[in-house]
Amino acid sequence: MTSLVLQGVGKRFGGLQAVSPFDMEIARGKITGLIGPNGAGKTTVVNLITGVYKLSQGSIRFGDIDLTEAPRHEVARAGLARTYQTIRLLPDATVVANVMIGMYRHQKTSLVSQLLGLPSSRAETARFRDEVFRLLDRFGMTRYADYPAGSLSYGDQRRVEMMRALALKPEVLLLDEPVAGINEVEAARLGEIFRSLATEGEGMAVLLIEHNMRFVTHLCDYVYVLDGGVLIAQGTAAQVVNDPAVITAYLGDDEDA
Amino acid sequence: MMSFITPHLPLLDLIFIGTGYALSQAIVFRAGTFSVATSGFAALGAYAAAILTVKQGLHPAAAVGLGTLLGLLCGLLLSVPLARLRGVYQAIASLAFVEILVALILYFEDLTGGPLGFHNIPRVVTPWVLFLAMLATMVLLTLLGRGGIGRAFDAMRQDPAVAASLGVNPTRYHVLSFALSGAIAGLFGGLDALRNFSLTAEQFGFSILIGTLSAVVLGGRRAVLGPLIGTTILVLLPEIFRPLADYRQAVYGLLLVVVMAFLPFGVYDTIVMKLHNRKLARAGMLAPKVPKALA
Repeated sequence: MTSLVLQGVGKRFGGLQAVSPFDMEIARGKITGLIGPNGAGKTTVVNLITGVYKLSQGSIRFGDIDLTEAPRHEVARAGLARTYQTIRLLPDATVVANVMIGMYRHQKTSLVSQLLGLPSSRAETARFRDEVFRLLDRFGMTRYADYPAGSLSYGDQRRVEMMRALALKPEVLLLDEPVAGINEVEAARLGEIFRSLATEGEGMAVLLIEHNMRFVTHLCDYVYVLDGGVLIAQGTAAQVVNDPAVITAYLGDDEDA
Repeated sequence: MMSFITPHLPLLDLIFIGTGYALSQAIVFRAGTFSVATSGFAALGAYAAAILTVKQGLHPAAAVGLGTLLGLLCGLLLSVPLARLRGVYQAIASLAFVEILVALILYFEDLTGGPLGFHNIPRVVTPWVLFLAMLATMVLLTLLGRGGIGRAFDAMRQDPAVAASLGVNPTRYHVLSFALSGAIAGLFGGLDALRNFSLTAEQFGFSILIGTLSAVVLGGRRAVLGPLIGTTILVLLPEIFRPLADYRQAVYGLLLVVVMAFLPFGVYDTIVMKLHNRKLARAGMLAPKVPKALA
């Protein structure tokens, strides 16, 4: 089974080693967690994987595809989708239009047939629209289909972002703090969706970056812990939570954690 | 009826050609590029069509076709340096392109007639031809806007980083928008040349650039009808209020300020948005606000 493999990946900004070289495997059919305190370098890792930053060291492979040097749009075309920690929607486009852009990867009609609006191109657009509405239904967002995305509530905007990522039908889904600012009940419902994404069919490889420890321990099959750009622990959620290094570095002495 | 329309035919010409230029301008805006190179492409198309018809004796249709091609090629070339710039720097660089082109037209006197202008061009383009060209361009842009190209353009305009993370190759669509813009402006430039007996370099200088920009901002950038409405208003306004005609540039400026302050999406797009929101408000319980941020 293909998985996303990071080998000795590190990032330096000038003299600052933001992320020290580390190995990581994000396997299909599993939810992999990446946790760590603020400024630990979690989002940097996502930016390295998706080609926003160039790697200073190491390599990234997905199956047979080498993504080490790939620019952003090629990473996406290889089947990696992401959401952003701070929501980045197209605010004045409708919800449908926002999600529809995610279908871009599956566009098959030629540039010429799109230029001339040939029936094949129109049929493709209609098919994409149907798929978008199936996604909307899954996230309970059908009634907001024609609203400008910027007018929705925070939690709903997060959902739109997730639907847009899923519209790529990715093999790897990178979720950067997907339930930040969402209440427990709704977070649990999203957690169920993430779980089903990993287990249904061929199963996606899901990377979940999160602060909410309960959410992570409940959901993740395997967890990596970053602190100050250094990988300090990895293992099952239970192992990691009881790791003394993690407790001192990340959770402190608080027994509730 | 005819006696009413005939004296106003030249105005129709201006509206059709102006709309063509405005559509060429709108397409780069839609793809998120702040370029004002349209009048430069138009100048190339116009002089190519005029020179080929008069000096080479080419059939006017072939000459206009070659002018369109020249505009397209120039758009492709110009997209390379402009891809490295962002926002207002793109505007400045493309403005420089237009000014350089105007200077070159003045300099190559043997070919272009220089400051004296290029004359004795056969007048073969009728309002009908212009109308059909405009209509065809609008249909093409509508179809293209509804498909994958339109979606990629929209994504690039609103957030280039997100567009790339969804698999949109930014270079490809940047180049495509310029090729389209160049071809459309080249086409209407060529048609413009063959309806007016003569050409001068100043015709394609700063004032037409401002006029085109005004038409797009006034009418609206998103829908294809926006540039037509903007151009119609700008052409008819000085005719309806004759006393204002002398202050045309000042009135344009004032109009732009008012539109940007009160209708930031342009006349047509604002109406479409208001209607859309009213429909939503009637159907659902939410009253969505018009997004504040201008994409």
